[in-house]
Amino acid sequence: MKHIVTSMESKLSHYINAAGNLDISSFEKKIRIGILGSFTLNGLEETLRVKCAEKKVDSAVFVSRYNQYNQDILNDKSELYSFSPDIVFLILDTRSILGNFFYSPYSLSFDLRKELIENKAKELMNLFTVFTNKTKSKLVVTNLSVPTYSPYGICETKSELGLQEVVMNLNSKLYDYARHNRAVYIYDLNGFVTRYGESNVFDYRQYFFGDIKVSLEFIPYLAENFMGYVKVMMGLNKKCIALDLDNTLWGGVVGEDGFDGIKLGPTPPGNAYLEFQRLLLALNQRGIILAINSKNNEDDALEVIRNHPHMILREENFASIRINWNDKVSNMKEIAEELNIGLDGIAYFDDDPVNREFMTMNLPEILTVDLPSDPAFYSSALHGINDFNVLKITEEDLKRKDMYLQEKKRKDFEKNVTNIEDFLKQLEIKLKIKKADQFTIPRISQLTLKTNQFNLTTRRYQEEEIRQFSQDSNMLVGCIQVEDKFGDNGITGVFIVKKENQKEWTIDTFLLSCRVMGREVEKSILAHIISKARESKVERIKAQYIPTKKNKPVESFLPDCGFHKEGDYWIYSVNSSFKAPDYLKVSVE
Amino acid sequence: MSKKLYELIGRVMNVPISQINENSGPESIESWTSFNGYVLLYELEHEFNVKFTMEEAIDVKTISDIKRHLRNHGVALND
Repeated sequence: MKHIVTSMESKLSHYINAAGNLDISSFEKKIRIGILGSFTLNGLEETLRVKCAEKKVDSAVFVSRYNQYNQDILNDKSELYSFSPDIVFLILDTRSILGNFFYSPYSLSFDLRKELIENKAKELMNLFTVFTNKTKSKLVVTNLSVPTYSPYGICETKSELGLQEVVMNLNSKLYDYARHNRAVYIYDLNGFVTRYGESNVFDYRQYFFGDIKVSLEFIPYLAENFMGYVKVMMGLNKKCIALDLDNTLWGGVVGEDGFDGIKLGPTPPGNAYLEFQRLLLALNQRGIILAINSKNNEDDALEVIRNHPHMILREENFASIRINWNDKVSNMKEIAEELNIGLDGIAYFDDDPVNREFMTMNLPEILTVDLPSDPAFYSSALHGINDFNVLKITEEDLKRKDMYLQEKKRKDFEKNVTNIEDFLKQLEIKLKIKKADQFTIPRISQLTLKTNQFNLTTRRYQEEEIRQFSQDSNMLVGCIQVEDKFGDNGITGVFIVKKENQKEWTIDTFLLSCRVMGREVEKSILAHIISKARESKVERIKAQYIPTKKNKPVESFLPDCGFHKEGDYWIYSVNSSFKAPDYLKVSVE
Repeated sequence: MSKKLYELIGRVMNVPISQINENSGPESIESWTSFNGYVLLYELEHEFNVKFTMEEAIDVKTISDIKRHLRNHGVALND
């Protein structure tokens, strides 16, 4: 049977062989992955290791013995726990979970079917709870694939709690559980099977030969889907989509075809561009920043963006706009600078393979998307990218679009003020210092995972770790919400302090989102830590600057604030006076 | 076509083609585990656009068995 896939994957043998020759010695990022399953999953380990290495991540992968996931989770002393994973994939299949019921669903009465759902759900949730209580690891559990065959045939959908409905109900119980347990994620395996087709993913011969329930051909696709979790845990997710215009957001060339001649509207091929723009808008509303990088007459292009009746994305959706005749690499660097994000946080869509090649050669850190030549497939190309994930959609994600608009206004305002201090004063900056609690912990973790520039130590912490710190009386964890007259930047700063003893504290983490850099916010945060230390009669505050490729902006922060060097550490004597900028209004919650 | 077959087997089993002959199989190639045997079968099916039956798959003990089944499916292999 033929099937259409949106991005071609290499064969499993490629991954199995490549896994034997990986050079991972230079990779700084490391992850420990556990694989547990109710059926044969050979090849998944090798594929994941190769895919991690392609992203410059050194991975160690533990594979549980065949169908031993119960024992591995329930036994304290299992290899799984001594392996100490960061993330575990528990891959379940409907046949194994339902047992005989899978074949004879109607041998049980309605009441017994109801009971079966309850019991199976309890059994699984108990496993998840045991696991999350024992480790700090994330647990990704696959939902159950809904069978397409039923002995009831066309009456299946008329049966109350039929086979399919039993599986769907069980799935919705798993979703419910995951909504209330932050460490547990449900991976939509049923969606995976739907996408590629049950008759492709499940190969009866492989099943009979080796209890293989995701056919060998699709193991690389499954691994690619799992990489969506790995990438975001490693802070490799993309924050911004930079877009070309002609033949990318609309059909044709506006400079030649004119405002009325471009293809954008309800009829083909214009509706393909419309669909693509709708998907981009949804990502924008979810917190992905959009930018334009186009060689064009600015006036022609802006005329379309502002006034074309079928344009979905308007000027306010773009946080940075470069429409000119400069080369696209220089434009891209400017976009990154303007948005204050790393080039490696950008994905780039351009229909022209020459432009893409030029970008890949010059800026390999950018994810240059291999856009199909037919715009009909732009949308499926976008669907196929799993680089835009976050572990939790925070309020900041939902507000980001507006925040960047405010930032544009702020920059225009800055242009009209000659003195930086005046500018900062007129911004009317307000700081709220907040505790780590159930509302702020997801964002605190998110900031430690993705902040690269103004970050003293670049220590990455998952939510569970931040939660532990916040409950530890020897730790001080806080975050900072920054507002000014243009709007609310949300939580954009984090500090974690270890109270080593009565006399000495160590700053474990100190970071600021790039969005609020350059406003002296950091000094007010430090002043808060110092005053807390003073209250506790602490004498010295120790801090560290751990240099990375990206955190140059914070290099001189400690000496500038009066810290002096002692060995690997910077020391601040709490007795010395510290002056925080007086134009920042600070409140502590 | 035989060259293509040998290259594919070499790639899947991760052995140099020079080490592969008609009589090679799980007995002589260490990496030819039962799992790699499944991988080989599915890659052969893709490469030559055929579907092996379970009986054929079970019957494969050496490369000459693979050749025989491929020929039965109409794949021309010149030695």
